[in-house]
Amino acid sequence: MIRRMPWWLAGILMALLVLFTFSVFGANRPFGASTYVPYFAGILFDLSPEKYPYLKEVHFAGAWEGVMLLGALTGGFLTSVFVTKTFRLSIMPTGWKKYKNSSVISRLVWSFISGFFLIIGARLAGGCTSGHFLSGMAQTAISSMIFGGVVLLSLIITGKVFYKSEANDV
Amino acid sequence: MMFDRILNMFTTVSNESHGSVFVVFMIGLVFGVLIQYSRVDKFEKIAGFAMLRDTVVPKMLFLAIGLASIGLYFMVEAGYASYHPKPIILGGLIIGGTIFGISMAILGKCPGTGPVSIAEGRIDVLVGAIGGIFGGLVFTVYFDFFKKIMGESLGKTTLVSYFQGHENLSVFIFGIVLIIVSIVIPLRQEFDEADLQQLQE
Repeated sequence: MIRRMPWWLAGILMALLVLFTFSVFGANRPFGASTYVPYFAGILFDLSPEKYPYLKEVHFAGAWEGVMLLGALTGGFLTSVFVTKTFRLSIMPTGWKKYKNSSVISRLVWSFISGFFLIIGARLAGGCTSGHFLSGMAQTAISSMIFGGVVLLSLIITGKVFYKSEANDV
Repeated sequence: MMFDRILNMFTTVSNESHGSVFVVFMIGLVFGVLIQYSRVDKFEKIAGFAMLRDTVVPKMLFLAIGLASIGLYFMVEAGYASYHPKPIILGGLIIGGTIFGISMAILGKCPGTGPVSIAEGRIDVLVGAIGGIFGGLVFTVYFDFFKKIMGESLGKTTLVSYFQGHENLSVFIFGIVLIIVSIVIPLRQEFDEADLQQLQE
């Protein structure tokens, strides 16, 4: 048996988590995840918020999401070690080997590049999967619906173009 | 200096009225547990969705949004929450969304699921996160340039605001449609080696 939660239970609990985050009993704000990246970049490269206005803009959201992220890392680590028992150091995802190639260098180079642009894209749009999809669409925000449509389209086109349609046996 | 700024992160959160440091940490912890336990932090789930070989992510996401939209509307009405929609910045949403979708399909993660994936030992995602830190750095340093791409805000409109007098009904229909969509999307699954080993047990 694979130890995991069914999609419907995870969906229900995720909705409750989003509602708790929004509520005055929780954090009284939307749930989001991509603002912590420029916030941490500012800390790691010791950029002064006086010189870079964007750091001032993300000061509060970045700190909030930074603390949230520490919780997410802890939750993910504990669950992967004790519950799903899937913790292991790995470089190559099974799906990459199956639908792209078996070169570690290729995977790492693409990881770096896509990680770089993932954040540029999220910050341009003012949010990511958590901020726009989960929190934004739950508020029926038009901005999030535009983002959602564009992301779905470019995600699926990339899936078609970037990966092989026939699987290699792993 | 860096240590001071990290400490400052906790003071900033505790001085704000958006939950105590403990509450915010717990929100993250529950998020991490849900993402890991449902396995949607896996490459096979997100890149698999891009290839239309795995539908767990859209099923879970649409169900969560549908339920949350109805719940949130009534919480706002009761005064227990408020809306914080993001502004419509067309250049940012369209160009940013396109770049985001391409990157998500290749990395197989988004900014929320990535850290959870790193927490289960995925080194390729850690390399992606280092790339992300540089992305955040470039965005911060060249913010003036990116701001021009993003364009002017066209307001923070929501769908329900177009249905004056029928807000309850419109949000209810919106939520129900998303819940139905989440149920009717056929369940397709891709597994990775760790899961396949458990399947054989």
